[in-house]
Amino acid sequence: MKSIVRLALLLSLGLGLASPARADLKVATSLTDLASVAQFVGGKHVTAQSLCRGFEDPHFVPAKPSLMKAIQHADVYVSTGLELDGGWLPLVLPGSRNPKIQQGAKGFVDASRGVSVLEKPTGTVSRAAGDIHPLGNPHYYLDPKALEVVADHLANVFSGLDPANAAEYAANAKAFDERMETSLKKWEKEMAPYRGATIVPYHLNFIYFADRFGLKLFGTVEPKPGIPPNAHYIAQLSDNMKKSGVKVVTYQPYYNADAAKQLAKRAGGVAVEVPTEAGGMPGTDDVFSKFDFIVSSLSRALSGSQGGSR
Amino acid sequence: MLRRALISVLVLSSFASIGTFASVASAQEGDSTQVVGEGGASTSETGSSTSMFSNLANPAIGMNALFSVQAAHNLARAYGFDFDEAEISLLSVVDPYWTFTSNIVFLPDHTIDPEEVWVRNTSLTSIQLKLGQLRGTFGKHGLLHTHAFPFIQAPIMMANTIGEEGFKDPGLEASWLTPLPWYAELTGGAYKAVGVDDDHPLDLGSTRHDNIPWLGHFKSQFDLNDETTMELGQSILEGRGSDGHRHAAYGADATIRNVPARSSNRKGWILQGEYIQKASYPGGSYHREADGGYASFQYRFSQVWWGGVRGERARRSFTDFMVDEAGDPIPGTVNRGSVNIAWTPSEFSFIRLEYSHAKADRGTHPTDDRIMVQMSYTIGFHPAHAY
Repeated sequence: MKSIVRLALLLSLGLGLASPARADLKVATSLTDLASVAQFVGGKHVTAQSLCRGFEDPHFVPAKPSLMKAIQHADVYVSTGLELDGGWLPLVLPGSRNPKIQQGAKGFVDASRGVSVLEKPTGTVSRAAGDIHPLGNPHYYLDPKALEVVADHLANVFSGLDPANAAEYAANAKAFDERMETSLKKWEKEMAPYRGATIVPYHLNFIYFADRFGLKLFGTVEPKPGIPPNAHYIAQLSDNMKKSGVKVVTYQPYYNADAAKQLAKRAGGVAVEVPTEAGGMPGTDDVFSKFDFIVSSLSRALSGSQGGSR
Repeated sequence: MLRRALISVLVLSSFASIGTFASVASAQEGDSTQVVGEGGASTSETGSSTSMFSNLANPAIGMNALFSVQAAHNLARAYGFDFDEAEISLLSVVDPYWTFTSNIVFLPDHTIDPEEVWVRNTSLTSIQLKLGQLRGTFGKHGLLHTHAFPFIQAPIMMANTIGEEGFKDPGLEASWLTPLPWYAELTGGAYKAVGVDDDHPLDLGSTRHDNIPWLGHFKSQFDLNDETTMELGQSILEGRGSDGHRHAAYGADATIRNVPARSSNRKGWILQGEYIQKASYPGGSYHREADGGYASFQYRFSQVWWGGVRGERARRSFTDFMVDEAGDPIPGTVNRGSVNIAWTPSEFSFIRLEYSHAKADRGTHPTDDRIMVQMSYTIGFHPAHAY
């Protein structure tokens, strides 16, 4: 027995000594977009990792113990906030046994802080409306401007935790904002011909994008948030789309593609698969390439030239 | 040796937590200002409160209710609609050091069971400390709330070893996330000595002052690939019984779970097996008492449909249909198979249909067939269930 205990101790010690050299701040996030922004802002002083992969539904990330292990030694945890990760983060954070990133600690960041939140419920909140978010729509990472707010917020947090590199974090955040502004002008130009056009997203996750680029939403593929569509609903919605001339349906890699394609087919339109987070589709490794992909796919679909499944 | 080591870890953890509180407190004083500022929750700032009694720090509240209908021709009970239980959950942060969780269960016999009332400390690096009325970290099925059971009926072995709903007792638990390269969690606990009753089939009730029932649990979880995990667990619970002898329960479990990354709320499956044995040591020699195990497979067909099948065996065990001529329960060996299908239109309600067939080696009715329907409804805040 004693020899087993000794062996375990030596193994533990050995693992500790064998840990690789690491950046100044180890950052974990709920979303790939937040990891992407954190990496831009942190530069060489930060290693950022997202628990939810870009092609996973951020509402339903399985709270695997291995995720707890992944953030056991994180210095910062960046939550999406607005309860988007509320179904799994309350298990993962305490399970990490990492006091630095628990809610209320300096290493815990609510990335929605400072963001202009849309669809804040007024009056009574009821689940009769589906699986709604009582604090407002949490998919703000589909607004390029909101990511600038996140970048500035993260620069402040990183500076507080690592004052020696504060100037670099501030400069990186400024550079991120400037690049985002330049990119936004490019995206707005590409989307300008379609201002006022109408799309049907699978879930109400495109409201920030629609708001930024002047698109209109015509219902959603799911009848209510979190409620799967049935045949009757699809038939009804497709009839309404036909009457109103709406032809573009968007869906994400983690949604039921068949439902989106069926709706588009019945309405005589196209279903376009677009990511909501970086890494959701090939070639969307960071937040800039993610918006490049969305803008390119949507503009092609809205122009009627091509894109998506008919 | 192992027992002494676990108790030492617990005691050291307690002292360590007290020792770190001061430093954590000073480190987090600044944070509290930030948190209030971030949330804008201060009534004086928002001016939103018209009462001197603010409710802004009230706990999150949720409630679950379970109802069922059961048809079992060998049971001496009327058919009909049953209210199984209602569970109210209250959760909140106590202060910068503790969070509070309670699950109070209201039962159809008009009694109230404070199933779980505990606080958790997350100020310690790599160690989580829980104290209060706990659901002891033993095995897999024993950690589940009733509405989270994968099948309507708990495995027969549960009620004959550690308790139908697991081992629930006042105590203190510390769980250490070890530095091993995979998720490896070592838990130690010490509990109040409780004798045998309906909820505690394991006799740990000696009033001798050296009787501190203790628990050890080791859990490992591996990612087999991006979508499939394997979890292995070993558990031990031991103490001195009211007869003065050592009594113990030993458990082992294995779970392989698949959650496809691109359809995490539409597809997936769970393959699980668990074995629990109750033992005693009269005169210092090992004596195996009731034991049993199950193997189950659950499959998710779509966002709203789940199906499952389970086979189980329990030995030297009691179950509701195994009675003698006088109608008194008798122990024996039981094999049971169950199959069910569940419709979950949302995360907050489900209805499921289950059929089971059981065969026992004793009793006036050696076989049992039953059909059950169970309905579950949840309102308010409900914390996610463990993976």
